[in-house]
Amino acid sequence: MQFVEDQVADVTILTPQFTWLDASNVPQFKEAIQPHLAQRLRVIIDLTPVEFMDSSGLGAMLSVLKRVDAGNGELKLCGMSRKVRALFELVRMHRIFEIYNDRQEAVKSFEGVMEASE
Amino acid sequence: MKAIILAAGRGTRMRPFTTTVAKPMIPLFHTPVMELLVELLARHNVRQIMVNTSYLAPGIEGYFRDGAHFGVEMAYSFEGRKSADQFIDEPLGSAGALRKIQTHSGFFDETFMVMCGDAVIDLDLSALLDFHRRQGATVTVALKEVPADQVSNYGIAVLDEHQRITSFQEKPAAHEAKSLLANTGIYIFEPSVIDLIPPVGAYDIGSQLFPRLVESGAGMYGVALPFQWLDIGKLPDYYQVMRQALCGEVHGVQLPGHSIRPGIHCGLNVSIDLEACEIHPPVYIGGSSTIEPGCRIIGPALIGPGCIIESGALVEESMIFDYTRIGALASIRNMIVSGDYCVDSTGLVIDLQEAKLDGVITDARTNLDLEPNTSRELLELLADWGA
Repeated sequence: MQFVEDQVADVTILTPQFTWLDASNVPQFKEAIQPHLAQRLRVIIDLTPVEFMDSSGLGAMLSVLKRVDAGNGELKLCGMSRKVRALFELVRMHRIFEIYNDRQEAVKSFEGVMEASE
Repeated sequence: MKAIILAAGRGTRMRPFTTTVAKPMIPLFHTPVMELLVELLARHNVRQIMVNTSYLAPGIEGYFRDGAHFGVEMAYSFEGRKSADQFIDEPLGSAGALRKIQTHSGFFDETFMVMCGDAVIDLDLSALLDFHRRQGATVTVALKEVPADQVSNYGIAVLDEHQRITSFQEKPAAHEAKSLLANTGIYIFEPSVIDLIPPVGAYDIGSQLFPRLVESGAGMYGVALPFQWLDIGKLPDYYQVMRQALCGEVHGVQLPGHSIRPGIHCGLNVSIDLEACEIHPPVYIGGSSTIEPGCRIIGPALIGPGCIIESGALVEESMIFDYTRIGALASIRNMIVSGDYCVDSTGLVIDLQEAKLDGVITDARTNLDLEPNTSRELLELLADWGA
C-alpha cells in the first residue's frame, strides 16, 4: 500500500495508490500513511483513485484526521468519487472534514499558499 | 373490450429494486404501478386483460390472480419454463407475446389495447378509442410531446397532415429529430396486425413490428391527447415520480393514511410525538413505524411501514421503504432506501452490506444486540467527534 507524495509550497499532497479502502486493507493503510504525516502541518489527501470505502475505511479516515489534529496540523480531502462522497454524507463525515473538488481548490484553501507557490 | 399489459421485462435499468420486485409491481405508496393501469383500464370498460409475464412472474400473478378484486378478468401468458424448482425466463418480446396468446386461444378477436406495465398514466382511453375508430386505424399510437432535449430518450413518430404515422426514429439525436412526439407504449390494435408478426422467435413492437407496419402501408395513426405520462424506466425516474406523488402531483394518487397535521399523513399504530421532532410536510409515515423524539424529517418524504427513525437521524426529501431502521447518526438526503440499498436521486447505488453500514441503516426487525455490528468502531469514533 503506497502513497504518492507531492509538495506545493508547504502543503503535502498524498495520493493513495489503491482503489478501495475497507476492512481488508485498513491496517496496512494506517501503517503506510504514518511516515507521510510526520512533521507535516498542511496535508491534502487526494482520493481520486479511491472508488470505494466501507465503514472501516471511513473510520480510518477519521483516525488520520484525529492524528493530524493532535499535531495541530490541518487535513483536507479532495477528488472524492460520487460514491465515496455519498458514503461520507450518509454518516455526516462531510461536516467533519474539509472537502474540495480537486487538489487546486484544496491547495488554494490553505491561507497564504498561493503567494508562496506563485 | 380487451387489453394486454406487457409485464415480462427484466427492468435492468431499475436494479437493484427489480432484483426482487418485478418492475410493474414497483409501488407508489402501497399501490403497484400496474394496479393503477388495471384500474384505468377498468374505468374505461376494459373487462378482459391478458398479462404476459416472465421475470419474477409469481409476484405479479399472485397479486392480481384472476382480476376479480379489481373488477376485471385477468390471466397470464407465462414466457419461460421451470427447471429444478427454478423459473427460467424466456421472454418473447412485446409482439411475440401477442402472437403466443393468439396462437394459444385466438383471444384477440376484437379491437384491443396494449400497454407497458411500467408507466403511470391518466390517459382518456375512451377518447383514444374514439380516435382509432374515427380514423379507421389498424394501429393507433398514443403520443406525447417531449422537450427537444429529451427526444434522444424515446422512439419518435413522424405524422402526416392526417395524423398518419409516416416513419419512426429510434432515439434520435436532438438535431436529427423530425418531431417531438414520443411513443408512450400505449396502443390500440386491430387483431389483423398480429398476422404480421413472424411465427417464431422474439419480436418487438416498437423497433420491429411498427417499421414493418409503416412499410406495408397499414393504417397506422398517432395522436397526442393531453395526459400525464410518468415513465418509470430508470432509477432517477422513480425518485422523481415518488416525489411528485408525495406532493400530490400524480393524478389519481393521494397521500394514504390519515392526516395528523396538514400535509403529514400516518398509517395506523405509528409512535410519534409531533412536538418532540421536526417534521416538514409533505410526509407520509406507514403503519407501526416509530419516529423517535429528536429526529428530523424534511418533506417530501416517505417513511414506509414498520420503520424506526432514531433520535438524531435526518431524513430529507427521501423515501425509506418498509422495515428500515435509520440510525441516530445517519443523514439521508435525496435518496431512496430500500432493503440493502441506498439509491440517490441521480441513480447512484450504495450497497449497504458491502459498505458495512449496518449500524447506520439496517432492517428494523433485527436485534442489534444479537448481531455482529460491523460499523460499531466507526459509530464510536463518530460519537467521540460529537457528530
